Amino acid sequence: MVNYGGDEVSALVVDIGSSSVRAGYAGDDTPKAVVSSYYGYKTTAGDSDAKLYLGQHGPSIWREGMEIGNPWRDALIFDFNPIPPLISHALSDIMHANPSEHPILVTEPAWNIAANRERMAEIMFEEFQVPAFYIANTGVLNAFAAGKGSALVIDVGHSVASITPVVDGFVLRKGLVYSALPKLVHAHAKHVLTTPTPTRGSIDLYPHQLIASKIPVEPSASPRFALREDRLAGTTESWRTWYETREVDEWIQTVAGVLDQGWNEQVAAARPPRQYEFPTGFNTSFGPERFQVGEEFFYHSPQLVAQNPNLPKNIPTLLSESLRACDPDLRQVLMGNVVLTGGGSLYTGFADRLENELSRNFSHVKIHAPGNPIERKYGAWLGGSILASLGTFHQLWISREEWQEHGKAIVGQRCK
Amino acid sequence: MASGVSVSSECMEAFRSLKLSRKHKYIIFSLSADLKTIVPVKTSAEQDYDKFVGDLPEDECRWAVYDFEFEKDSAKRNKICFISWSPDSAKIKQKMLFASSRDALRRSFDGIAVEIQGTDYSEIAHEAVLFKANSSSR
Repeated sequence: MVNYGGDEVSALVVDIGSSSVRAGYAGDDTPKAVVSSYYGYKTTAGDSDAKLYLGQHGPSIWREGMEIGNPWRDALIFDFNPIPPLISHALSDIMHANPSEHPILVTEPAWNIAANRERMAEIMFEEFQVPAFYIANTGVLNAFAAGKGSALVIDVGHSVASITPVVDGFVLRKGLVYSALPKLVHAHAKHVLTTPTPTRGSIDLYPHQLIASKIPVEPSASPRFALREDRLAGTTESWRTWYETREVDEWIQTVAGVLDQGWNEQVAAARPPRQYEFPTGFNTSFGPERFQVGEEFFYHSPQLVAQNPNLPKNIPTLLSESLRACDPDLRQVLMGNVVLTGGGSLYTGFADRLENELSRNFSHVKIHAPGNPIERKYGAWLGGSILASLGTFHQLWISREEWQEHGKAIVGQRCK
Repeated sequence: MASGVSVSSECMEAFRSLKLSRKHKYIIFSLSADLKTIVPVKTSAEQDYDKFVGDLPEDECRWAVYDFEFEKDSAKRNKICFISWSPDSAKIKQKMLFASSRDALRRSFDGIAVEIQGTDYSEIAHEAVLFKANSSSR
């Protein structure tokens, strides 16, 4: 609880990721609102304040000519225009909270730029009229939530995989590395699904919104479905990309895994295959290819690397780059305190594989990977929730008066 | 980023008696019931290292300062160790509180030679501390 003008009000915590915006009350165990960061909009000539379609009734509802956008690009918030509507949807529409009555803690990635954090402060103070604001680094929040002042935080999200060395509560900048690895893994999964094999054709990734009817078919048989012809012409390219991404993600979450001991054809073939049905009615079982997908986190073939000079770095490459920047003494401390977090790390076998990769090079490796998926997905939110609920934290908040007096400069001074 | 928790003067006094007058072998610190201040919860002159380990609860966080004695090159040495105890089984709220308050306590003490972050008993075992103490002395 935070004291404002004699009243105790709880702070709000907002964690904005590239897949979802997590928002809730400080002190709670889980965010009250989890809203997709993707939003729908229509481009109408001359209308710059076009309505955004958000949340549950947002991108997932088919609308003629609706495009899909996302504020993130290249691991940073690129477009701030949809940020106030997204936050307002989470806080006001879902939580029925009035932001002008609550201090707000927002998270930021460790590599965030000054202009972005200042813009966030400006949005909070000027548009939402919050009484107090703080912006906290997700790397440090994840380390603290695992009980560690010093840790190597490996965060695998929806579009970015990062490694953040945290030492005595501060990010060691020179050891901070990240890449768009999850996007590569996703692209590989899509390639697996859409490439014909000897036993099946290319898989159609139509979503249920575009399917008029379907007839149950035998496993691996060609699907028998009819498309909603009335909708096809009005479906935009960006909506199509968005729903294909969703279909691939669903498949990944249900089927894909990582081999804990490294790639081995026999081991992959010996694992039980998994059945999966697509919205078209097509269903089949996936064998070794479901592990090939997760393998992309840890190994890239020399051919792939040679053909793609800008290939996102895999986990072992990120790790060696990060550790190279740290003193040898520190490396041992970090290896004993690895924190695995982020929804993208929830692949079956991910934590075991990571441990095996690390143990090959270091003698004492200990990985903290919460088994509870809520803790893994919302680690930074949870850390922020606890921090912002502390009575003693009030000294750290940037108050409205301080913002008015000092302006943007106070953000960098206070939030370290 | 820190919790804003403050360090009580009792912490400093206890540390001084350990460091200067060597009245204590170890001190265990925790948070006050209102979670606003760090306070010493135990001081002891007990020489048996295992007794000290026994004073660290299995599923709750603590900090400790231990005056660690060992022999190197047949000379007796001592190093003051700062231990952050955060067992995996502790509640997440406590882990967060202790991790974000640690720096305030640590910065209050001069003369710490060894720092240990322990999440299970093997990481704070006598041999683990001895190894660190040895490698930090030349």
